[in-house]
Amino acid sequence: MTEPSPLVAVDDLRTLFPIRKGLLRRRVGAVRAVDGVSFAIGRGRTLGLVGESGCGKTTVGRSLLRLVEPTSGRVTFDGRDVLAAGGADLRGLRRRMQVVFQDPYGSLNPRMKVRAILEEGLVIHRLGTPAERLERMTRALARTGMPAAALDRYPHEFSGGQRQRIAIARAIVIEPDFLVLDEPISALDVSIQAQVVNLLVELREQLGLTYLFISHDLSVVEYVSDDVAVMYLGRIVEGAPAARLYAEPLHPYTLALFSAVPSVDPRRRRRRIVLAGDVPSPARPPAGCRFHPRCPLAEAACRQADPPATRVDGHVVHCHVAARELERSGGDPAVAAAAMAGLMAAAPGPSGGA
Amino acid sequence: MPLLDIRNLVTAFHTPAGRVPAVDGVSLAIDRGRTLGLVGESGCGKSVTAMSVLRLVAAPGVIERGEILLEDRRAGAAVDLVTLPEPQLRRVRGGRIGMIFQEPMTSLNPVFTIGDQVAEAVLLHRDVSRAEARARALEMLRLVRLADPEQRIDEYPHQLSGGMRQRVMIAMALACEPDLIIADEPTTALDVTIQAQILELLADLRRRLGTAILLITHDLGVVAETCDDVAVMYAGRIVERAPAAELFARPLHPYTIGLLAARPGGGRSAGPLRTIPGMVPAPQDFPSGCRFHPRCVHARHGGGPEDCVATAPELREIEPGHFVRCHHAGALGEPGRAATAEPGREGRA
Repeated sequence: MTEPSPLVAVDDLRTLFPIRKGLLRRRVGAVRAVDGVSFAIGRGRTLGLVGESGCGKTTVGRSLLRLVEPTSGRVTFDGRDVLAAGGADLRGLRRRMQVVFQDPYGSLNPRMKVRAILEEGLVIHRLGTPAERLERMTRALARTGMPAAALDRYPHEFSGGQRQRIAIARAIVIEPDFLVLDEPISALDVSIQAQVVNLLVELREQLGLTYLFISHDLSVVEYVSDDVAVMYLGRIVEGAPAARLYAEPLHPYTLALFSAVPSVDPRRRRRRIVLAGDVPSPARPPAGCRFHPRCPLAEAACRQADPPATRVDGHVVHCHVAARELERSGGDPAVAAAAMAGLMAAAPGPSGGA
Repeated sequence: MPLLDIRNLVTAFHTPAGRVPAVDGVSLAIDRGRTLGLVGESGCGKSVTAMSVLRLVAAPGVIERGEILLEDRRAGAAVDLVTLPEPQLRRVRGGRIGMIFQEPMTSLNPVFTIGDQVAEAVLLHRDVSRAEARARALEMLRLVRLADPEQRIDEYPHQLSGGMRQRVMIAMALACEPDLIIADEPTTALDVTIQAQILELLADLRRRLGTAILLITHDLGVVAETCDDVAVMYAGRIVERAPAAELFARPLHPYTIGLLAARPGGGRSAGPLRTIPGMVPAPQDFPSGCRFHPRCVHARHGGGPEDCVATAPELREIEPGHFVRCHHAGALGEPGRAATAEPGREGRA
């Protein structure tokens, strides 16, 4: 997943939220929401970030935009240091990086007309004369399939799908290069989701946009992304080009996650791997490999040592067992993936439930 | 005789803006030990149908018409839940019919231990002592494979994870050995790996206890993997009903075909997704005739008995056991292809 000059590069990003207790609000610990995440996104490409609730995927997106302040690490955008930027520099970067949130009901101010919602970004970034602004807003709406008449209406006058189109228009009106899409279709009805996915793909092609696509919907992520990274408890456990990851997953968590998705197509249905227990709290992540308490393949080493990254042709995995299988296969990910699937199928099922 | 037989149910909400028929002539039957999936998008009336069965529809909602017949083996007949007096109905709720809702945190009482809440379900419906009810509660928590049941029984809902709470809800629903469980989006609030645990548990309990399940969901994948039969709802009506394997192999209603085709099934090379144009109608403005006609590329408006705009189609049995509410179903050509819009301009939310 490395490119000669990626548009976005993230290196060892950590975002910790302090836990304070008592009268003096003393710091007694930290929620390690993002705990050492690295990736890069090339220009015009889409990285899909998947994982379950609480894994830190949303915090990664917000940290990139500095909507939350990361604790440490490095984020560069087009070669510029995002975390060190302040004032006018930061504003300049933010004009090029925009975000679309999950809930189009919560993310659009109900007291503002669509005109004011779209104009806000143009005003903040001092873009265009009033006439040019109107033209930009009309064009952004048209690109998202909305009529110019929408400008004089309020968000509540629109359906969920239309509101998400308005949220996308707001993001593209200042002509950014990069969008963080945080669960952009999860709140929509199934019949509307496909419309919005097609729109996002169209805009990417027309405007040459780069996306970080955050979602728990594995099928949509596969469809939209060039590369996919799987997060678990604040870390990326596996990442690869999308086709590769879906065909040959190596990490036991990825295997379990894929197998758990119910499918209407019997050909795509996999033997379900049911994991034991729940995701542990990110305030007290387990020692060693963070997945080991739920992993059917966990060994002594997994309880002690944090597995380092093993890389084969752009496929990165953090797992002691997968690393061994890759070595045994002579570095052939297809052979190693088949071996991992076999091990998971042969592993005993969970004894206790959540 | 089916265990539950819903006949021509009409449930409407009388609002200041007028009468809103959320459920408009729904008929459904569930046999003992079977799982029926009721699927549809927001506002289609699936949850109102479920709440009507238990007569829990909140004002200003009213069951205006129809029968909801629950088989009573001992009497050798059926009782109509629509007209059953409230005291008897209370014995049905949580007794013969158990309930599981989407968000267990709001369905469980935060100030009582989970043991007290499961035991209460037993005490309400059985003539047992407190100690016996507690023993039964523990037995149920074991049955739903809650981790450390002896310890958890004295904990409060906030101490449990989402998956554990849903197990507790299932334990409560099963405590009185119901004939039927109504599960309204039971896994929607859960992550997929936890959803897999809960679906596995429900399937296992059904095999062991023979409980029938009415599963309400928007997730076609969940239905495909857990249900015997499926009914698809759109705008207050059932538009298609069939055994699950049949429905997913050969969907016949343009709406069902569109829903199945709209899900991505591959990577970037797969081309644009097929879409259903337009948007889901709200109950206060359901269209005339066939309610799907404004979004259907096959809709015909030329007069006659098969005019999609003027005449509402009936639910017809097109194949044995396969019912479809469409004037043109079966004559639409290749299923899964013909009935969705070509990707592009017309597919607007």
